Amino acid sequence: MSCDRSFTKVDRRGFLGHMSTGLAGVALANLMAREGVSAKVARPTTHFEPKAKRVLQIFCPGGVSHMDTFEYKPELDKHHGEPLPGLSGSDTFMGGNGNLMKCPWRFSPAGECGKWINQELFPHLSKLVDDIAFIHSLQSKTNTHGPGCTYMNSSFVTEGFPSAGAWVSYALGSENEDLPTYICLPDIRGIPPAGPANWSSGFLPARHQAVVFNTSGTIENLERPSSISAAADRDARKYLALLNRMHGRRFPGNSVLGARVASYELAARMQLSAPEVSDFDSETSATHAMYGTTSSNKLKSAYARNCLLARRMLERGVRYVSLYCASRASGVDGLLNWDAHKTLKSDYERHAPVFDQPTAALINDLRMRGLLDDTLVLWNTEFGRFPTHQEGTVGRDHNPNAMTAWMLGAGVKGGVSYGATDDVGHNAVEKVCTVYDFYATVLHLLGLDHERVTYYHNGIERRLTDVHGYVIDDVLA
Amino acid sequence: MRLRNLQFLVLMTSFGAGTLTAGERAGQEWWSLQPLRDVVPPAADGLPAEWSQSPIDRLVYRRMSEKRLRPGKAADRATIIRRVTFDLIGLPPTPEEIDAFVADSRANAYELLVDRLLDSPHYGERWGRHWLDVVRFGESNGYEQNRIRTAAWPYRDYVIQAFNDDKPYDRFILEQLAGDQLDGEDRELVVATSFIVSGPHDAVGNDDIRFARQIRANHMNDFVSTTTSSFLGLTFHCARCHDHKFDPILQKDYYSLAAIFDGVQHGGREFVTAEDERRRVEMARPIEDELSRLRADLAALEKSVETDIAEQREAILARYRPPVDDRGTEETFQPVDARFVRMVIQETNAGFCKVEEFEVWTDAPAGSARNVALASAGAQVTSDSTRGIDGDEAFYSADVVIDGEFGVCWISKDDGVGEFSVEFPRVERITGIRWSKDRAGGFQGKYLGNVPTIYSIQVSLDGKDWREVAHSRDRKPFTEEGVDDLVMRAVMSAEENTRRDQLKDQIAEAEERLESVPAPEVFYAALVEQPTEPVYFLEGGDVMARGDAMPPASPSTLAGVLPGFELAVDAPEGQRRLTLARWITDKRNPLTARVIANRVWHYHFGRGIVNTPSDFGYNGSRPTHPDLLDWLAQCLQDLDWRVKAFHKEIVLSATYRQSSDFVERNAGIDRDAVYLWRFPPRRLEAEEIRDSVLAVAGKLDTRMGGPGFRLFHNIRDNVTTYYPLEKFGPETYRRAVYHHNVRAVKVGLLGQFDCPDNALPAPRRESTVSPLQALGMLNSSFVIDQARFFGERLLREAGEDRHAQIRRAYRLAFGRLPGVEEESLGLELIEAHGLTVFCRVLLNANEFIHVM
Repeated sequence: MSCDRSFTKVDRRGFLGHMSTGLAGVALANLMAREGVSAKVARPTTHFEPKAKRVLQIFCPGGVSHMDTFEYKPELDKHHGEPLPGLSGSDTFMGGNGNLMKCPWRFSPAGECGKWINQELFPHLSKLVDDIAFIHSLQSKTNTHGPGCTYMNSSFVTEGFPSAGAWVSYALGSENEDLPTYICLPDIRGIPPAGPANWSSGFLPARHQAVVFNTSGTIENLERPSSISAAADRDARKYLALLNRMHGRRFPGNSVLGARVASYELAARMQLSAPEVSDFDSETSATHAMYGTTSSNKLKSAYARNCLLARRMLERGVRYVSLYCASRASGVDGLLNWDAHKTLKSDYERHAPVFDQPTAALINDLRMRGLLDDTLVLWNTEFGRFPTHQEGTVGRDHNPNAMTAWMLGAGVKGGVSYGATDDVGHNAVEKVCTVYDFYATVLHLLGLDHERVTYYHNGIERRLTDVHGYVIDDVLA
Repeated sequence: MRLRNLQFLVLMTSFGAGTLTAGERAGQEWWSLQPLRDVVPPAADGLPAEWSQSPIDRLVYRRMSEKRLRPGKAADRATIIRRVTFDLIGLPPTPEEIDAFVADSRANAYELLVDRLLDSPHYGERWGRHWLDVVRFGESNGYEQNRIRTAAWPYRDYVIQAFNDDKPYDRFILEQLAGDQLDGEDRELVVATSFIVSGPHDAVGNDDIRFARQIRANHMNDFVSTTTSSFLGLTFHCARCHDHKFDPILQKDYYSLAAIFDGVQHGGREFVTAEDERRRVEMARPIEDELSRLRADLAALEKSVETDIAEQREAILARYRPPVDDRGTEETFQPVDARFVRMVIQETNAGFCKVEEFEVWTDAPAGSARNVALASAGAQVTSDSTRGIDGDEAFYSADVVIDGEFGVCWISKDDGVGEFSVEFPRVERITGIRWSKDRAGGFQGKYLGNVPTIYSIQVSLDGKDWREVAHSRDRKPFTEEGVDDLVMRAVMSAEENTRRDQLKDQIAEAEERLESVPAPEVFYAALVEQPTEPVYFLEGGDVMARGDAMPPASPSTLAGVLPGFELAVDAPEGQRRLTLARWITDKRNPLTARVIANRVWHYHFGRGIVNTPSDFGYNGSRPTHPDLLDWLAQCLQDLDWRVKAFHKEIVLSATYRQSSDFVERNAGIDRDAVYLWRFPPRRLEAEEIRDSVLAVAGKLDTRMGGPGFRLFHNIRDNVTTYYPLEKFGPETYRRAVYHHNVRAVKVGLLGQFDCPDNALPAPRRESTVSPLQALGMLNSSFVIDQARFFGERLLREAGEDRHAQIRRAYRLAFGRLPGVEEESLGLELIEAHGLTVFCRVLLNANEFIHVM
């Protein structure tokens, strides 16, 4: 065994316990089941009764402006055009800041909870506010996109650390023997800032990194090459099985050899089940209409297809689905993501319609299918934006001092707005919280004590929450 | 182990209460900080003959006996040559090499084999790669922009060469920390200092002082942590915010070490020797002289018309219309009937073309003219010169020029040229257009390029025959230089203009020649200069909470074992690194020798005596063989730090040469063979797998050194994005150590088989099993190509005889002949589906990627 530490305080699972996390674990467990070593796939060990079994994380890269979307700041309207007290040029990423700029859309109360939200931009999501716990007081450690993204995904601003999905894969393993544990669905526009570092396994074993479904909805190398016929492939596998059997007989007592055989069997099952999961033929036209998969807006229809794919994965027991709406910063214009430096209004009127309907449809669909009972849905971005406009533009600069995140589903109290920024949205001031608190809460909902999910690396028992984090009790149902 | 874990977790919990009791952390009496002990190996009496020779074996045997384990029998020759060949050079032995060794009757046949392997240049490629893992060598910046580093490879070559030259390890350390201080004229010594900066570099910069300092502090942390973890096996980075919680490392030790590197920055370092510089000047001087002559002539010519310019400038410029304005430029023309209007751009001030809105106005009295170029009025726009992202043109579509809104721009595919065409639902009588690129007026002085400056406005009734109705050629140039040039040309005579053009051509030609004079080489190495600001102690690691200025100094950790040093706060930059390097390589430093001896052992056996090769502190593993570790460390020092001789001590031992056979009785006591009752089998590492596929297919390109090959193509925007290749040409057939190793991108097979991406040091690789590996080995075009080449090789080397082909294939891939069933079923497979299908199976077999 390569990892000589366990994540639980008292490790009763030993060797099999380690191997039973992740795909290889399933493969080995199957192998052992066949060999009569173990009667069933080892169940993941949680620290207490979980509320959520799986996670859907939706990430909008670019730094979504909190005061223009989910956190209502009426004072900002009143002070439109005035300078922001106490702001110096050195606080910003791009340089000069102008005066306060009001939100170019109208907020209005929604749902029974009366949450003030930008219904103009998010007419569909606004109907779900009674289910959502908004966290308005998150802060980042950086005002730069790449580090901001890895910070929100792994709690570290540098690459090389495991993403939350990898930690969950490591802690809980798989629920499905035919599909990966942790899947990432990047946006059709491309990968987010910092790219694969956002779904990396870091120093955890490589099997915990996300399997990426590319924009055509498939996994790299999933398909047999056209030069190899189906019959040839079948006969080749038989011959391979013979070779491995003979080799295994010559070298008994090496479980890793059996695990590799099992990984080939799992790969074969994935070849059958992965195309099935991305085959939408069985979906009704009503479903397609609800998600918007046939929209003439290419970005929207592509994102909607990913939303539908996400539901089909969660339905089949994929543990962690990471879904992106938008991609890296383009440096040319705010077209690729939510990084509205220059033209906030027209940018967001492009991005919001891509995001709004498919996301709301996905959440509603999960509910209708009863999946929301044990699925946790998270929404994140890398930081918020300044209440001022950027000099010479009608956009806003990066603001690490305040951002909104939200969650809903299994174990989450709906209709809640936790924490707040100051009057204009410049700084989080009320119940200020961190990414560590956010993930402490996520792990808690998964039945895990964030301080006890650890892995030794370069001198430290590493955690998803570094050495910090408190569960945000106020958002728990 | 379990007990320790429990202690650890109890301890973690006790932090909250702020208590830390003795015995739960390491002090200066910690085992790894003590001087090397003079270990006397046990007597040979009563040991099996082959275990009685080497002190290594006697020490291993004693530990085995204590655990009631019995050693395995010696591995057979075919097994041992495969094992030691992969181990030392990372490639499979050829069938011919196996035959020769198996048949070699000389008493020292095995030793001769080991010597041959250690002399092979492939040895450095294999063991150099291990070192590159330890020091997190990467060839892109990482972080936000992740720009590619095209000149980092000299360090990779330096490391490979250092291993091949059997450079003493103490010298190797000295060179990497302070080679430029040993001899700044020696290219290799300067390249060696790349070690310090081969980690990630946050190059995006920041206007916020907090973040700017944080970025620098992160770089410092990388320098300190890589240096200390690589050479000393301690986790100094844990003392950045507070005293180390487990090891005797003070927070001030961390900042004293940071002060060592205060003068080091990331970046390209220009390398030039005095001789190079003399030669360069010799070549450049005549051209530079010629250039200054030409420039003086040109200046004189231009000066001669100075008065004319002053007098005529205004009159000349009056003949031209105002320049284009990217906030909005109008062109008016005689009313004309048109169904189509197009803007054909022939020049921009810089880069590609951008247009945010294009309006076409009808011929009507003021106030009632309509803009008919609006999607909402039924107009349509087409462009076949739109820039796309990954081939998709939707992102910068020309649709935005008729959407009635400002801000978002159409963007052309190519620099300087592009066009789009607007079609109205009906013929309109029009008389003017207006286009803009930035109606809001500038983006803080940024993004000022991309303005169409020379263009033609054309109309058509049928979309086929076009007529120009307006153009910008009679406008004043957009730039100051353009305006000056225009005036100059107008006042000069024809002869003067010809003369001026000639001079300009000659200048351009001379400049080109000057460019071709070889410039000094620039490679990625520590960029050093005397620091202007000291390193401060940071309270809680907070960059805004500066305490005292810190002197560069040795850490207190080893205070009792070897003399320390403390330099002045403003000590010369190079002296700091050199002094630290000498302190690390001092033979009294017990960590340096223990750590490298353990690393070498770790790579030979897949497991270190200390199984956390970069952590010899409290949180690291305890040594399974403490005596052996000290013996090995002392041995390496006695060999004057020569690593090749040290390898020989290990691989010639009976411990290394025993079989990997599984023995139930032993496994019941020690399943993982920690006490080495068998040789622990291992899966090949990512590079070995890829190299072996190529070697067996007969396609391995063994060219060494130089810029690496790429398994991705990259697009540089303001960040760099890397896309894995889907097809692999012969340029990718070199050994994987020459793969251009960018950060945060795990490409294909290499990533799937646990090749680290080097964002952080990787002192130990994982060895995972996943279905993605299976899919990659079965279906990637790389493996399919190589399976085909493997088949072609079989035809070449074994002829048409199927049996001969199969035997050759087994010998190449597994180093043995097939069994009866393997041969007969292999034959069936080939008969039914051909050689490629058969070869693909062999490359996927467990036997192919495991050494026993």
